Amino acid sequence: MGLGFTVGVIGVLILGHAAYSTIQYRSLLKITEEEFSGPPMEVVLELLVGLLFCMWAALTVPGKFLSVHPHSDENRYVSLCVRLRYSQIYCVVDFTGNTYVTLVRLTVSCLLCI
Amino acid sequence: MAVGHGDSSSSDKKPTDALNDLQTFNAENLQSNMKVIYYSRTFLSIIGGVIAGILGFNGVIGIVFYFLVMAVTSAALAAKAKFSVHSYFDSWNRILLDGFFGGLMSFVLFWTFAYDIVHIF
Repeated sequence: MGLGFTVGVIGVLILGHAAYSTIQYRSLLKITEEEFSGPPMEVVLELLVGLLFCMWAALTVPGKFLSVHPHSDENRYVSLCVRLRYSQIYCVVDFTGNTYVTLVRLTVSCLLCI
Repeated sequence: MAVGHGDSSSSDKKPTDALNDLQTFNAENLQSNMKVIYYSRTFLSIIGGVIAGILGFNGVIGIVFYFLVMAVTSAALAAKAKFSVHSYFDSWNRILLDGFFGGLMSFVLFWTFAYDIVHIF
């Protein structure tokens, strides 16, 4: 994310430089009394490079796409069941990262969560 | 004690109901994805406006340029979703059309701004 942000800032700076170059080109045209038909080819290339940098930043900085399936791997939580003599320990980590450990001293069938 | 299934408060139905599986979404993630699209489109509308102003576009050609930038953005977002749109959204319209016209206002604002700075002042 830091890299994406830096690339975005560089892209904006490149666009600023292209704007400055175009202003100078226009003032040159005013001196030679010619019409402005478009910025020079270097400026157009510079704008294209700036656009590519900004596009890359716009796609990476806001964040990743998260899966919307309710049963996908990212949304699942894992339960680990360990049998210890006559007691059982359940370790559950839910998708928010909270861990719950429960010790049950009964011989209940071990429920594995899918 | 009981180990239940991973139901977040935003999921709707029981996981065993296979018929409804396609309509069940993790709404929290869907909203987060929509926000990502919104931020990307808004930023690129602004950048597109600045570029249109620098290039000196007037009139219809500027609007055409905006649609071009938005089309490229849609393609890039589809590529970011690895073209399996249904894993991240509920329909193709989200990625192709959502926010299309919302960015138009920002585009015109920055287009006017950049054009004034570069060509008039």
